[in-house]
Amino acid sequence: MLYTKYLKMHMHSSFQYRANMAFIAITQALVNIGEVLGVWMLFLQFDSVGGWTFYQSLLMMGVIYTVFSFTECFARGYDEFPKLIKSGEFDRMLIRPVGIHYQIFGSKIEFTKLARMLLGIVLSVIALVNMNIDWNVWKVLVLIATYICGCSVIFGLFVLSAGISIYTVENLEFLNIFTNGSKEVAYYPINIYAKWLARFFTFVIPVACFNYLPLSFLTGTGSVPMWLCGVAPLFGMLFMIPCIIFFNLSLKRYKSTGT
Amino acid sequence: MGKSYLGIFRMEFKGELQYRAKAISGIATQLFWGLLQIYLYMAFLNTESVDGFSITQMASYIWLGQAFFAMRYILMGKNIGQSITNGNVCYKFVRPLNLYNQWYSETLGQKVASTLLRFPLILIIAALLPVGLGLSAPVSIPALLLCIVGILLGVCMSTTLSMFIVWLTFKTLSEKGSATIISTISGLLSGMVIPLPMMPQAVQNVINYLPFRFVSDLPFRIYIGNVGITDGLIFLAIGFAWLVLLTILGKLLIKSALKKTVIQGG
Repeated sequence: MLYTKYLKMHMHSSFQYRANMAFIAITQALVNIGEVLGVWMLFLQFDSVGGWTFYQSLLMMGVIYTVFSFTECFARGYDEFPKLIKSGEFDRMLIRPVGIHYQIFGSKIEFTKLARMLLGIVLSVIALVNMNIDWNVWKVLVLIATYICGCSVIFGLFVLSAGISIYTVENLEFLNIFTNGSKEVAYYPINIYAKWLARFFTFVIPVACFNYLPLSFLTGTGSVPMWLCGVAPLFGMLFMIPCIIFFNLSLKRYKSTGT
Repeated sequence: MGKSYLGIFRMEFKGELQYRAKAISGIATQLFWGLLQIYLYMAFLNTESVDGFSITQMASYIWLGQAFFAMRYILMGKNIGQSITNGNVCYKFVRPLNLYNQWYSETLGQKVASTLLRFPLILIIAALLPVGLGLSAPVSIPALLLCIVGILLGVCMSTTLSMFIVWLTFKTLSEKGSATIISTISGLLSGMVIPLPMMPQAVQNVINYLPFRFVSDLPFRIYIGNVGITDGLIFLAIGFAWLVLLTILGKLLIKSALKKTVIQGG
């Protein structure tokens, strides 16, 4: 399969500089450890926020670290899409007889992000062990769906901003507000924020679907009906569909930068 | 001799002033982050109060932090790291100038220019926001003056700390990795990750005396009245002592690193 070839190629080139790669991966994870320490100290000072305690917040951090870095690793081509346009690499892709999305996926795979993902998984496990959840089959399924939903929402955001950059060419910092903003709000259960902000990140960008809603389902608390919390991750996964449609429509209006 | 460094400072300063569009998009981002952080910490402070750090004070603290973001961030001047890893640094060796001072003036020039481009607009917009969400006036005129002194100390401290990234880059040859290590440590200890007044008292008792908090935390706390005038003066003195000490240490470390330097490539 072609994708395995892409995978092998990127692995080969990254592993040429093994020490450098390991150093970058570890220091990147260090940033997140710094953030976790910060949140931990915040919860030493304040026992709870909006009814949530440290481990519940830690699970949210674990989830967002895992899904964000997983998506960054494998969908880096969308994240760095303006680079592809500017370098002319995208024009070259268009003349190849292979699907364009396939090639964007293959254009870059960033393995260093996997260190962060690993950290996210470790944090999630630590949080889950300390949360005293009454496990049943449904909860396990919702938890798995949460991670898949997170990946697809973040992927949707990457595709959306790639689509917009077809018009703007430049990578506008404004767009980073949505991707990075969604990441930062997801560090905490988002119902602690002001109502309008929480609504925005529920109905416009469905961060809540892999954040506060499944967390409510796992802990059995909150004001939203349980069945709704349970199916929320499934709804969240749909977010990427309009994003991909938008990208494909924008593609028809694509003009080369002429390099 | 000092004239050449002033020249480097001015060159970098003017160069950075060219990036106005970048500054505007940066301002928009900073405003968004400011609001997001204020709403977050509001949730915490609504649950439980902290002595001497009300929601109004917290909002001012966050806005000052956003306004002076460009100087808070511990980052060496552009091109310095790259010049070390690609070997271009050797051109700097042939100049009859002290390398540390060259890099110091470069980094300082960039930091001052990008801060000046951003802070007035952010402060004005933040001051227009409603009380509790926006920036309030300083507690007193002396507090404002001390805050300004503190910010000047902060930008120098930030540059001094940035020089340790240069040193680490010589050691590791990884610009990104070195920058990440230093900026993560200082981010946590200087109140960029979470405001220092919201940390447990025992932790604060230690962090307050470390050099990092002088980068940004102290002047803002003087402004909002969380640190009084007398305490502020004492802390500023401690900060200046750290500045001198760390600058000397940085110079020594870079000097010894340069002795062992092997230029990569040509």
